[in-house]
Amino acid sequence: MRKQIKDSGIASMTSRRRFLQSAAWMSGAVATSVSSWVLRPGWVNAAEAPIKVGIATDLTGTIANAGNANANVAKMVVKDINNAGGILGRPIELLIVDTASNESVAVANVGRLIQRDKVDVVLGGITSGMRNAIKDVIVTRGKTLYIYPQQYEGKECTPYLFCTGPVPAQQCDQIIPWLIKNGGKRFALPSANYIWPHVLNEYTRKLIENNGGEVIFEEYYPLDQVEYGATINKIMTNNVEVVFNSIIWPGVGPFFKQLYEAGFSKRGGRLACVYYDESALSINEPQEIEGLAACLDYFRTVTALDPASARIQVEYDKEFPGKILLTAGTAATGMYRGLKLWEVAVKEAGKLDREHVAAALDHAKISEGPGGPAEMVPGKRHCRLNIYTAVVKNGNFEIAARSEGLVDPREC
Amino acid sequence: MESALSATFEILNFGAIMVLVVLGLGIIAGMMGIFNFAHGEFVLLGAYATYLVYSFGLPVWLGMLGAPLVVGAIGFVLERLVIRHFYAAPIVAMLGTYALGLIIRESVRSLIGGLYITVPEPIVGSLTVGDVQLSRWRFAIVVITTAVVLASYLLLTRTSLGLRVRAAIENPSLARASGISTNALYAITFTFGAALAGLAGALVVPVFSLSADLGVRFLIEGFLAIMLGGIGSFEGSMAGAAVVGVLSAALPWVVAPALADVLIFVIAIVFVKFKPRGLIAERRT
Repeated sequence: MRKQIKDSGIASMTSRRRFLQSAAWMSGAVATSVSSWVLRPGWVNAAEAPIKVGIATDLTGTIANAGNANANVAKMVVKDINNAGGILGRPIELLIVDTASNESVAVANVGRLIQRDKVDVVLGGITSGMRNAIKDVIVTRGKTLYIYPQQYEGKECTPYLFCTGPVPAQQCDQIIPWLIKNGGKRFALPSANYIWPHVLNEYTRKLIENNGGEVIFEEYYPLDQVEYGATINKIMTNNVEVVFNSIIWPGVGPFFKQLYEAGFSKRGGRLACVYYDESALSINEPQEIEGLAACLDYFRTVTALDPASARIQVEYDKEFPGKILLTAGTAATGMYRGLKLWEVAVKEAGKLDREHVAAALDHAKISEGPGGPAEMVPGKRHCRLNIYTAVVKNGNFEIAARSEGLVDPREC
Repeated sequence: MESALSATFEILNFGAIMVLVVLGLGIIAGMMGIFNFAHGEFVLLGAYATYLVYSFGLPVWLGMLGAPLVVGAIGFVLERLVIRHFYAAPIVAMLGTYALGLIIRESVRSLIGGLYITVPEPIVGSLTVGDVQLSRWRFAIVVITTAVVLASYLLLTRTSLGLRVRAAIENPSLARASGISTNALYAITFTFGAALAGLAGALVVPVFSLSADLGVRFLIEGFLAIMLGGIGSFEGSMAGAAVVGVLSAALPWVVAPALADVLIFVIAIVFVKFKPRGLIAERRT
């Protein structure tokens, strides 16, 4: 029988004690939760300790899918490096911490990576918010090298912070002229309301206008908006020809669906979304995103054009079969490049101190990677990359255009 | 004219979705005094169950029929094992259900690999009215919601079970003295609320795609709806849900979308200031 204890004194004591018990239990659970782990190399060098590589990425929380892809790629690359004899005769020890899609958790965990574990380099962070939260901990207070792997809005020019993902100049310079030729001149820019779409659209708008197109409207929505009736109506009644989308999850799925249901693609409209990759294909039914154009440094179909990409893709799929894919939109390809460029830099520097490695990384090059070769632009801390424009056909990407050689990021 | 038609349809549709999601939340909050912070995750479980059935190659509608039963059963087990210990301590209930929700959400996230997964509509295609295309499935949601709300209302107001449930809420001691097992009624009510959440998840998953955070967005707006409608009455939470749903779909038509989100809360706060007991105040003394 349930106690009727709402207003009695005993009740409030009981509930307070219960409350404290629950609170203690919960804080204990939080404090002891696993938020990091170490992968020790299979061999050790008797003379010197292993080189420590820190990975800070979102293993849990809203973008856990991307974070786990990053962690997988790091494990694969480090295993390969160790199997090939390590760097400077020393094996690599991988320390992975969870940034949990939450900046305050991240700052504490990354701090531990720097202060306690004293890693030689940190790679990671996916969103710009995350990069901004942890870069100071790593670069300024931590005096450690930081490599950021994700495509982003650009303008990150902090010393000792190297970016290995594509930036607007690389993605938009390729896709906007293609869209005007293969879609039309009347653009709509529906966007999520945060830093990346704002900066991306500023660049895109100029490019559209310079190429003879026009922006019918540019609009920003709360990140969790899932109802886009008003936007769709504007697109349909203003005869928009190209929807250049930077709405992100969770809104992007319902938005594309509603757009399809309103008959946008039926009347010949073209969808474009630069960050769309293979892991985003599951968000919608194939017919809802038929003809969608994306622009990134790697798509799975590139494996047919580039043997090195094919080898990397096969190795990844063998080691990590399942739902966590090696794709460009999740920063996994940037993670691969970051680790490989850093390896080249350490080998050239011959030592691990930040000054020397940064100086070597400044002009590091790799001849192979997902999507092809890559090289740092000296003094700019950003990468020249191959860029591919791909279009969704029957639920898969097909390459529609590729850059002639490596594209300059034009940053910093 | 076309704009007005599609605006009306979208607003009506989102209003219906909000009502559907809030229905179970409102019944549990109103009848049991428990703010179920895991409600969004019950919605998620309904969506996940539907996806699971579909991924086995079975028709989607079968998943939609099964989802309320499965989620209801999960709700029943949770009520017996966990929730019933919380009735005397509403604050702990909030923390406890929040923790439950977190466990469910992160479990589903790892099961689906953190991806966003599409589930097709059981009724595909659009109705063409003039130049406007209206989604058949969204139309079906409005119809089903109306039927479910009506059935729930009749169940609570016109049946002897409903009478006993209301008696147990109104005065638990007297109800027990009259030979009503409040213990069993609480279990039934919670199971029913959970099943409604499961149904809501099953019906909306084709519209929003399956993702671990599917329920999170609705939770905040759901509580806003209950606050607006008034705690303790079925009609109140339904009216609150309709208002919140209609506002969040309607405001982006007239003001900048980023502003609309904030405006809903501002309107709600101003409203509650002047009518603190909600749209339809509980008549209990």
